[in-house]
Amino acid sequence: MISVRNVQHNYRHNGVVESVLHGVNLAVAEGEFVVLMGPSGCGKTTLLNILGLMMSPTSADSVALAGTETLGLSDSARTRLRRETLGFVFQRFNLLPTMSVRSNVALPLRIRGQHADGAVDKMLDRVGLLPQAGKKPGRLSIGQQQRVALARALIGRPAVLFADEPTGNLDSASAGAVLSLLREFHRDWGQTILLITHNEHLVGAGDRVLTMRDGRLHD
Amino acid sequence: MLALAWANLTHHKLRTTLSALAVGLGLALFLVSNGLATGSIGEVADRMESVQAELLVLPAQENMVFSGGAVFTPGWTDHLASVADEQGPLATDVIPAYWSQITMGGQQQRLFGIDPEQMPLFLGDRGMVAGHAFEQATAFSQRIRELRATADGQPLDTLLDDDEWSAGLELVIDDRLRRVGQDGHPYEIGDVVRVLGREFRIVGVVESGVAGRVFAPIETLRLINDGGRQRSTMFFIKLRPGLDHLVAARLFTEQLGSTVQVQPTSDYGRRLQQELGKVFMYVNVTNTLALIVCFLFILLTMYTFVLERTREIGILKSLGVTRRGLIGLSMLEALLISSAGAVIGIALSFVAQAIIAMRLPLLTVELPPQHLATAVAIGLVGGIGSALYPGWRAARLEPAVALGYE
Repeated sequence: MISVRNVQHNYRHNGVVESVLHGVNLAVAEGEFVVLMGPSGCGKTTLLNILGLMMSPTSADSVALAGTETLGLSDSARTRLRRETLGFVFQRFNLLPTMSVRSNVALPLRIRGQHADGAVDKMLDRVGLLPQAGKKPGRLSIGQQQRVALARALIGRPAVLFADEPTGNLDSASAGAVLSLLREFHRDWGQTILLITHNEHLVGAGDRVLTMRDGRLHD
Repeated sequence: MLALAWANLTHHKLRTTLSALAVGLGLALFLVSNGLATGSIGEVADRMESVQAELLVLPAQENMVFSGGAVFTPGWTDHLASVADEQGPLATDVIPAYWSQITMGGQQQRLFGIDPEQMPLFLGDRGMVAGHAFEQATAFSQRIRELRATADGQPLDTLLDDDEWSAGLELVIDDRLRRVGQDGHPYEIGDVVRVLGREFRIVGVVESGVAGRVFAPIETLRLINDGGRQRSTMFFIKLRPGLDHLVAARLFTEQLGSTVQVQPTSDYGRRLQQELGKVFMYVNVTNTLALIVCFLFILLTMYTFVLERTREIGILKSLGVTRRGLIGLSMLEALLISSAGAVIGIALSFVAQAIIAMRLPLLTVELPPQHLATAVAIGLVGGIGSALYPGWRAARLEPAVALGYE
């Protein structure tokens, strides 16, 4: 489902080039739940952004998603692939504060031009937030906001879910609830999940654990 | 998209209100400056065109706006009355006027010297707000005519005693000038005003819209300025019913020669614009500058509005909204803000118009529908156009970069 070869990425700050990824290779099978561990600043989020087509690598031999080689794709083709195949859960939730919980969750379907009525309430019910459907995200607890973000990421049944430190801002109870939901959805729908974290308690969450250190992946 | 745009705008109520207000202020600036320039000049033209006479006669070398001091010598009233076609004289009334520049209400005014008996031709269907259209001036004018016949070369003003003089020192003013008044107080009937070195008494206030803001008996002005000679600055001609005024103007010119210019009174506005061509050029430059300021105002407002939402744009990109969709969203929001701004701008302009009419009655702010439509078009085109660049710029950012924007 995910296959990358020799991904390199550099950042340039005030003329100084900083190399973040050094020839990363990765293969994740369809339906696999992979946990990518590593300390802050090791390049995890950069790799996820590249895999999620949210930025382009400085160089790579291949970045393939769901059987599509993404290197060289136009912006609109990358956007379409992101819209139809990928889902994201961020550490900072990234909900739209202007819209209600229901509208936030419905957004991916609306962007695809699909009707959202029943599916959204069913999804909210599943994450335990149907009573909060009409509220704005700012009026929910942090744990609830992350559950809304999870619901929004999964409402369109993406083939691949990228979760970037999804429990990073949560207390242990909320983190446990989000993780349980992730496992539940994975069990029921079988999407490919790549979860990145620096929290060692999440080691047992997935099928496989990878470690990243200084821009390189280790099994 | 409309729901998303609307949600964004209503969520940031203060920001949206301030943005719409900024657009509205820009448009109001344009509307009021434009309306003030065209309105004040248009009001002068309307007043002149309100005279119940079809033609206006000036010495050939005289400028319609800036009097060069050329005058008609005595006898011209008879010349004009004698112009005829095969059916008889063209004029039913020859109406002389004698202008003087004075200061009243804190600014320069054109004092119209007219025959008190011809006042109805200047009033038209307008009425008196207070007092009378001259009280003793008719008798005064009659007295001057008698003296002129018997003076035998003596200066007429020396033949009048103080009581006779005071009968001629009457002023009729219009309601706008009355409201401006003097030293913060509106003029009232009976007020004495020092004009042309004499103390005139205000005897009447007429509805605004008549040719002059200040009228005095023509014989008084001739006496003060011209030793009582029967000279005139200009004439209005009331034509025989059924006469085409353009044909009549041509006949007058043909029969009187090139020493006069004869124009339809209804053409005064157009002529005024010609005479004031350079002033209008200045007005147009001012309006263009106001327009550019207004446009920059809208651009800055929209740019800030879109820039502040870069992170939200990143979220939408991560969810798969295309560049075109994001630019469309920015433009839709800009359209909504600009529409609200246009409404605010028009409302502010009407408020400014009302305040100017109340506080500065001699000024006129004209807000015709075509100006309002232009302002709305500027607001909408400016708003959408201004959102285009920041929207395009934000949409080009990589989602990861936009999401990291604080």
